[in-house]
Amino acid sequence: MRFAFRELPDPGAASVRARPIVDVVVEGLDIVPQACLIDSGATAVRFGLHVAELCGIELSGADERRIAVGGALVRARMASVSLRVADAVESHSWEAPVWFCDPWAPAFGLLGLTGFFDHFEVIVAAYEERLELNPVPKLTL
Amino acid sequence: MAEKTNRRHVTIAGRGFDLTNRGVARAVRGVDPEPIASHYVVIEGRRFPPKQVITQVTGLDRADFTSHQARRTLLRLGFPAGRRTRASSTARAPSSAAAPEGLADRLRSLAGQWVAIRDDDVLHAAGSPHELVSWLMRHGQTAQSMFRVPEDDVAASGLAPL
Repeated sequence: MRFAFRELPDPGAASVRARPIVDVVVEGLDIVPQACLIDSGATAVRFGLHVAELCGIELSGADERRIAVGGALVRARMASVSLRVADAVESHSWEAPVWFCDPWAPAFGLLGLTGFFDHFEVIVAAYEERLELNPVPKLTL
Repeated sequence: MAEKTNRRHVTIAGRGFDLTNRGVARAVRGVDPEPIASHYVVIEGRRFPPKQVITQVTGLDRADFTSHQARRTLLRLGFPAGRRTRASSTARAPSSAAAPEGLADRLRSLAGQWVAIRDDDVLHAAGSPHELVSWLMRHGQTAQSMFRVPEDDVAASGLAPL
């Protein structure tokens, strides 16, 4: 699957830099795919709590952690959810552990190592502002 | 190029109205834009169907005038107008714009708001993700992307936790 980088306003920058952002359908909520930044510096897939609320994902009794985001402590709860990405030609769905965070300062979700990078071969061609995602075949043991 | 007048006397559906740029902007400030089928005008960074604006401002029934009349009236008041193109992934630039603005530029005035995007257009902006989804469902619309327009460095950068 191929995607062009996308520009979002960046209030702190003199000029806007396009970035690897893709839209992810969470738990089949097709009417509003969530914009997500592909971030190899993040260890997990993280969304704001509002995504769980919109999708009706139950988080009571979920695995919970306190993490630091931008200097603030954030409550993060994990659920295994279905995610889907699609370009104009094809789509790919997978199940991933997702951490729903409250409060959540970033303007988008983050696709990190566990739950995203371990499901795709990811090619980031920054000079061409292009992103390629190739699903990794599931290992059968 | 001469500046456009921001006060106009117009006749719509046989009735006369004195309209000003500011008055129109004020009239739609708290109003939810309806989905854009084709033509739109940009008022304070939001896109509205021209007929919705004229109905809101004049109280006329929208069956009493055409979309073309509404669009022409608002253009004369100095509001940028454009037309969505379904086949293309980009919308035509507003008529009064000197150069086409990218989506990131158009989003600047919506900092901190939640937006639904389709075909490189802002379908709707709302104060919360729940309001945004309610609007989409109410109007039978589907977005291609949803996010909050970054309002500061933290929101824009993501600042991934380890």
